[in-house]
Amino acid sequence: METNKQRLALQDAMVFLGAIASGTEQAIGESANSISYLAGVNLGKRLSEGVTNTKDILQALDSTREVLKKNDYLWLFEPFKTHDQETIVQEDENSIQVMLVFRDCMIRQSLFRFGHTQKGSLCNMMYGFFAGALQNIMGQESSLEIVHAGENACYKKLIVRRTP
Amino acid sequence: MSLEIDIHEQSCRGCELCIDICPTKVFELDTEKRLCVVKHAEDCIACLSCAYICPSNAITHTDYHAVKNFYRDAEFCQRMGKFL
Repeated sequence: METNKQRLALQDAMVFLGAIASGTEQAIGESANSISYLAGVNLGKRLSEGVTNTKDILQALDSTREVLKKNDYLWLFEPFKTHDQETIVQEDENSIQVMLVFRDCMIRQSLFRFGHTQKGSLCNMMYGFFAGALQNIMGQESSLEIVHAGENACYKKLIVRRTP
Repeated sequence: MSLEIDIHEQSCRGCELCIDICPTKVFELDTEKRLCVVKHAEDCIACLSCAYICPSNAITHTDYHAVKNFYRDAEFCQRMGKFL
């Protein structure tokens, strides 16, 4: 397919994706988040099959990033710490936490292309993707809380729960 | 790449919207001048929410990663071809 046609097709696909998210949220409300989350979990598990297991969260994030890159998914992220944090990884007795910054994001672009709000069902798909991938790689439950959804970057808190 | 944030002093009205919206607490209010100032530029994630929300358009960022409008990016469109 020549590039111009690909561009048009990609724009159509993004508008379609935005329309699906908008329509689903309108029709079934917050349940749309669960559906997208589960879709993300399945995708995360499927794409991370065979990835080397590790309990090191930063290594697990590197592996997740490689999975995304290998599949041409534009969901690039980086761990981030503010000046008052001593380390990137924060740990307590129940969980391990890392703040993540997402810059180039195909979901954000799709939402803006359609004119739909952030923090909705499509964003929950990313949460699901991480939960699924980290379940495979670390063997632990995790959540990806949206702290801030910005125009040029999003700020999220990844919490990996310790297994008893 | 070293991100810089500039607040145009004469434009800032001290409304504190940037302080409220910033997720990493980059700004603070200079109570004497009644203006918002950059306190921790190193904490900025370049989400640009402060620049978008500022009613006076007083905030500018330089040397930051601007997200790719990938549907306009020829190389990326070619890579995405397999999904279409």
